[in-house]
Amino acid sequence: MVHYIEVKNLAFQYEEEPVLENISFEVDAEDFVMLTGENGAAKTTLLRNILGLLKPSKGSVRIASKNRFGEKLVVGYVSQQVASFNAGFPSTVLELVQSGRYQRGKWFKRLDKEDRDHVRRSLESVGMWDMRHNKIGELSGGQKQRISLARVFATDPDLFVLDEPTTGMDVNSREEFYELLKHNSSEHGKGILMVTHDHEEIRHYADKHIELVRKEDSPWRCFSMDSCKELSKPHS
Amino acid sequence: MEMFFHGFMQRAFQASLLISLIAPVLGLFLILRRQSLMADTLSHVSLAGVALGLLIGVNPTWTNILVVAMIAIVLEYLRAVYRTYSEVSIAILMSAGMALALVLMGLNEGGATLSMNQFLFGSIVTISDQQVWMLLILTLIIGLLYLVFRKPMYILTFDEETAFTAGLPIKTMSVLFNVLTGVTIAVIMPIVGALLVSAVIVLPAAISMRLSKSFNGVILIGIVIALIGMLSGLVASYEVGTPPGATITLILIVIFVITALIKNLLRHVKFESPFKKSNIMSIEKKSRH
Repeated sequence: MVHYIEVKNLAFQYEEEPVLENISFEVDAEDFVMLTGENGAAKTTLLRNILGLLKPSKGSVRIASKNRFGEKLVVGYVSQQVASFNAGFPSTVLELVQSGRYQRGKWFKRLDKEDRDHVRRSLESVGMWDMRHNKIGELSGGQKQRISLARVFATDPDLFVLDEPTTGMDVNSREEFYELLKHNSSEHGKGILMVTHDHEEIRHYADKHIELVRKEDSPWRCFSMDSCKELSKPHS
Repeated sequence: MEMFFHGFMQRAFQASLLISLIAPVLGLFLILRRQSLMADTLSHVSLAGVALGLLIGVNPTWTNILVVAMIAIVLEYLRAVYRTYSEVSIAILMSAGMALALVLMGLNEGGATLSMNQFLFGSIVTISDQQVWMLLILTLIIGLLYLVFRKPMYILTFDEETAFTAGLPIKTMSVLFNVLTGVTIAVIMPIVGALLVSAVIVLPAAISMRLSKSFNGVILIGIVIALIGMLSGLVASYEVGTPPGATITLILIVIFVITALIKNLLRHVKFESPFKKSNIMSIEKKSRH
């Protein structure tokens, strides 16, 4: 089994203040892992360490370079702030979602029919196809969130790293989104690591649950992981 | 028509045409990367480059390009150091550039005052064939780089973290973009003047961003606006005898104000349209009574 993400004894601190300690887990192909914790539990900090946007002060993080087929591993990341993009950014919805395909070897090539089909399916899956010619800055918060997700679906990554991607979505949209993620992990072998507050909703879809809990013995607001629990599926 | 027979005006029109092609491309990326003031900083620094050239007796264009390219790299470093307050790097380097220029001019004992005025306010009379050739080469390089790297640059300007996780070398790209902007400013500066070069680069893109929904649309409209502003500014500058940089900037600002007014008016008309179904129905209702 290929470990798409491998975190070993990770610790992180801002200057002198420890924020994360003793974090170890793996995300494999076909895994749907949810990461939870109270507000301020450094969940985003952990994701940023994993992605290389921050440097761990101890331990190691490794993201596989190849996917399970031996091809270059493609990571799709949706950050918490990505939906609050600059209102003046001059781009249509279609342009932005198409940009998700660039990572698929299209930085210097024209998008072909397969790419365009992917883009169309992604936009349709979040109900935004009809708004494809709208300027992204004119969309509502929820719509921006949906096109950010459409963009990552258009990339069709091997590994999804999602930071609270359902903010601003209604219950039905959230359920559809989780179904789509589950389909991607179980049917297409994608690895998924998602920060969320909706753990009660997602536990029926996710395979593993990592909870960041505050360390009682630390004078700092420092978090560690409780355990990496395998979740049982009521419907399976 | 007489102006078109002068060699210096022909070179000025050629230079304006080329600047109009590159300014909106650089301007759009500068605005989206929240670096509009970087152009201003580099133009101040470029004065120090010119002063250095005049002091040591080397063609100021070359010292200018060298100094501005170096500072463009330092700027990226400072932008990373003062990530949250990136304008600090601009403030530091803008004042450092200006101070250095003044000190170097002082060391030159006034011999370079006339030349410095040309670089401060720009001059179309002094555009040489060499400058036009340099601009042509620069335009070809920027055009080629845009065609090849427009997709990575689109992602970089949209969101640096997304670009990083997509595997793009964001630091190298940022430094190269800064250097390219610096070299462009160094080449354009003697024509439009150090004080207004940033306006000429940023304004066409700022105007076209209000007019187009798409990324490529902004660049195409920006080129048209830059052409209108540059060419009409040049003609006005020749006819009235005003500095070219200032004339072009004022024309671009007038275009900016007009487009802003028209856009607001159109929005108003859109919302308050007398042809709206509800309005028509209420008029019909009244006429029945």
